[in-house]
Amino acid sequence: MSNITGWAGKILRVNLTDGTFKAEDTLKYKDFVGGMGIGYKVMWDEVPAGTKAFDPENKIIFGAGPLTGTGAVCAGRTNITSLLASNPYNAVSDSHMGGHFSAEMKYAGWDAIIIEGKSPKPVWLKIENDKVSLEDARYLWGKGIFLTTAFVAGKMPKGAQVAAIGQAGENMVNLSVIMNNGSHSAGGHGGVMGSKNIKAIGIRGTLPVHIAADRRDWLEVDKEMMAVIGANNNHVVPSTPQPWAEYNAARSRWTATDGLTWGAANPPVNTGTCDPHDLNSVGLRTQKAVFDHGAVAEQYTVRMGGCHACPIRCHSTLHIPKLEKYGLSPNVSNTCVGYSSPGGIMIQGHSKEGEEGEGTMMSKAVGAQLADDYGVWCNYSQIGRDFKYAHESGILKKVLPQEEYDSIPWDLLEKGDPEFLVDFYRRITFKEGELSRLGEGAYWVAKAWNFGDDYWNSSSYNMWSKLGFPKHHSNETAAQVGSLINSMFNRDAQCHTHVNLTGSGLPIEIQKAVIGEVIGSPDALDAPNSYTPMNEYKAKFAKWSIIRNCLHDSLTLCNWMWPMTVSPLKERNYRGNTSLESQYFSMATGIPTTEAELDLMGERIFTLHRALTVKQMGTVDMRNEHDPICEWVYTINPDMQPFTPGTQKMDREDMQLAFTMFYKEMGWDEKTGAPTKATLIRLGLRDVAAELEKLGLLPN
Amino acid sequence: MSQDEKKGLLEKTSTRREFLKIGCKSIAGAAVSMTVLGFLGYSNAADVTGFPLSTGLLISDASRCTGCRRCETICTMFNDGKTDPYIARVKVGRNYNFGRDNITAAYRTNDGVFGNFMVAADTCKQCKEPACAAACPVGAIEAQEKTGTRVVNESKCVGCGACAAACPWAVITVDGETKKSKKCVLCYQCVKNCPTGSLKLIPWQEVKAAVRRHA
Repeated sequence: MSNITGWAGKILRVNLTDGTFKAEDTLKYKDFVGGMGIGYKVMWDEVPAGTKAFDPENKIIFGAGPLTGTGAVCAGRTNITSLLASNPYNAVSDSHMGGHFSAEMKYAGWDAIIIEGKSPKPVWLKIENDKVSLEDARYLWGKGIFLTTAFVAGKMPKGAQVAAIGQAGENMVNLSVIMNNGSHSAGGHGGVMGSKNIKAIGIRGTLPVHIAADRRDWLEVDKEMMAVIGANNNHVVPSTPQPWAEYNAARSRWTATDGLTWGAANPPVNTGTCDPHDLNSVGLRTQKAVFDHGAVAEQYTVRMGGCHACPIRCHSTLHIPKLEKYGLSPNVSNTCVGYSSPGGIMIQGHSKEGEEGEGTMMSKAVGAQLADDYGVWCNYSQIGRDFKYAHESGILKKVLPQEEYDSIPWDLLEKGDPEFLVDFYRRITFKEGELSRLGEGAYWVAKAWNFGDDYWNSSSYNMWSKLGFPKHHSNETAAQVGSLINSMFNRDAQCHTHVNLTGSGLPIEIQKAVIGEVIGSPDALDAPNSYTPMNEYKAKFAKWSIIRNCLHDSLTLCNWMWPMTVSPLKERNYRGNTSLESQYFSMATGIPTTEAELDLMGERIFTLHRALTVKQMGTVDMRNEHDPICEWVYTINPDMQPFTPGTQKMDREDMQLAFTMFYKEMGWDEKTGAPTKATLIRLGLRDVAAELEKLGLLPN
Repeated sequence: MSQDEKKGLLEKTSTRREFLKIGCKSIAGAAVSMTVLGFLGYSNAADVTGFPLSTGLLISDASRCTGCRRCETICTMFNDGKTDPYIARVKVGRNYNFGRDNITAAYRTNDGVFGNFMVAADTCKQCKEPACAAACPVGAIEAQEKTGTRVVNESKCVGCGACAAACPWAVITVDGETKKSKKCVLCYQCVKNCPTGSLKLIPWQEVKAAVRRHA
């Protein structure tokens, strides 16, 4: 029996160029926790600055963490780290997927898989515990993700989990995904696998994950976790009045109510009142189909689905017989943007045929299945907005050859016929014609097609950064806090720490009190659309949000649920428990770790991300080269001034102050926003400091 | 259903595959009046000799199972102090992607998340005549005195795997680390923690049409 607990203890290194494998010791990365942290460390140590995403010198790291597979609640995430082709600098990024892949990786005895080089021919990686091989994938090349998964799983023992790319990844479409379990996709890195000629990874594991703690202690913490957990996005207030609930909030994802069912289950399952003390209805709290599609979807809902060891089921699985009309399976599953982004491509609206909302649901369902099989990513729905801008501005007509333009089924688009998506996704996936440039991502499309300032500067297109990514819970979420968070990554921010609180459904007074206890002052949070100028607690809130996000992607826990800032329980005064991550970590690994100590690890991981960005961009001037926000944030509601109720408008000088205060909280240079030598050393990143110094990339 | 018909059916359902065929296709229809325990061999309690009946058994209502697999993790954390789905007494993961059967060209409409989303837990049936106990060369599988629950006496178990090979439901597994056989002891933890109430511990007298597609 292994002495290592929490972690599996080994990392698998696969060299595709020469077809060799190596098992390495996980514990050399223990200061980086796992997942995202391991990914950044490997990228820092091994991938030289200037490498492009599809170069053989790039690497791709699939990471689990010390909590993955332990059964800790919501610990089913897989973190994937690599260079991101859609980013103008091909800067480092993470893509994440839920599902069951990373848990299986742990059960096979691996904490991470580092894939390097390039295979001379298409292969898939087969892992059965410590038995590892590269298998011929020539016959899989050209196939979609669903069939690829079936083929790979068919060559493995039952219970195997498969991560695969579709044709989009093979064709190195910048916006392409890696997917497992049919609807859990990691956006942006599919092409990296394609460039390396690796089609899929199949894993079957039959080994245990050990914990250091006594099982009774572990189950006690589990109990506490299950007491404070809410619904999807940790919304803790139901969307409709319930007998047990003091509050309700219309946009809450706690949609369950008596009479609302999984209508296509046999027999239909009533979601019910879901008293928060009832452990047997936690998975019924979120009826996500009606949240994503409206009431029309209830009758098509087979059930909810989701990730390994997560009691919150946030994917809806639908049986819609009409899907067969489009040559698709009647069965489709996804959640949130997985559905809404194909809906957004239908820029002339949706068919009005059938019941209310049916046309929209059909677009979303058809598109979700096509995108999931081809493996196309949406850049957080930006692909539809790019298409919209290019079309409405007349640019598309100019840049597309006449013949190609005429071949696009515009009549289907105008009718709102989802058949349009069949044509659209095929062009993107197979890089057919100029239109397929939309698959390169916003930065590259805007550059090639010469998008005007109105694209960047109008709030209609949601662009957050000139680096080509859109807003994702930004200024509309806690003002400067969401804005800071959105500027810190190399793609759309995937942080939900802040929005889970503001979306929790609790009255703002309670939210402010809670965050005051966590951060130090209720001034960290403003009421929606009623903003106040920047203060240091907002900087602390942004920092806390991001470092918890980084921790979650390293442990790995789901940041769509964690941290447990609030709870649905009145008797707890709606207080959650923000020490649960450190409790689980300590019990799993046997390394006693306080909440503050674990947060420091998150800070280390996030600072390493910043250092990687500085290195790849070749500048310390993050403030001006990396972090700026598109103009619309400062110019929306022209008749209103910032800090007046009713607007989400930000103030330029105040935002510069916000960056300064945030950099200060992080211990980064307040002028440039680059990590200082002292901070890097404080975080145990002496080697990083030394290399940046050599490259002249430390701030003065 | 007459006694003869019942007997005929039970003879036919002697294998797991046959059970599933009948269990899947007809339990919700023609056979709805017959108890699930009947399908499991508990057709006539008076006939029982040797092993006393278990007072209950664990079932999974497939229409409610969302495949979170918390039953597997909690089962092994509670019983083994580690997380190990391979030895869990409830097995969901192996059916998750493509259902219980082999993958076929019809995988997009068969069971599993790549098909019709039907994911079901395999559970121990506490069989009337437990094949696991019959196969055990050292008599390590015993009926608990009060409940009749079939349990592994670990002090006798030699980890040979004969029970696992004999189990028609393939829900018994030998722990690779302790070399002891792991089977369901009806500890109730999976039921208590099932987030959608799919898993239920059902007293055998009350089992009627509660299981609609799979037991």
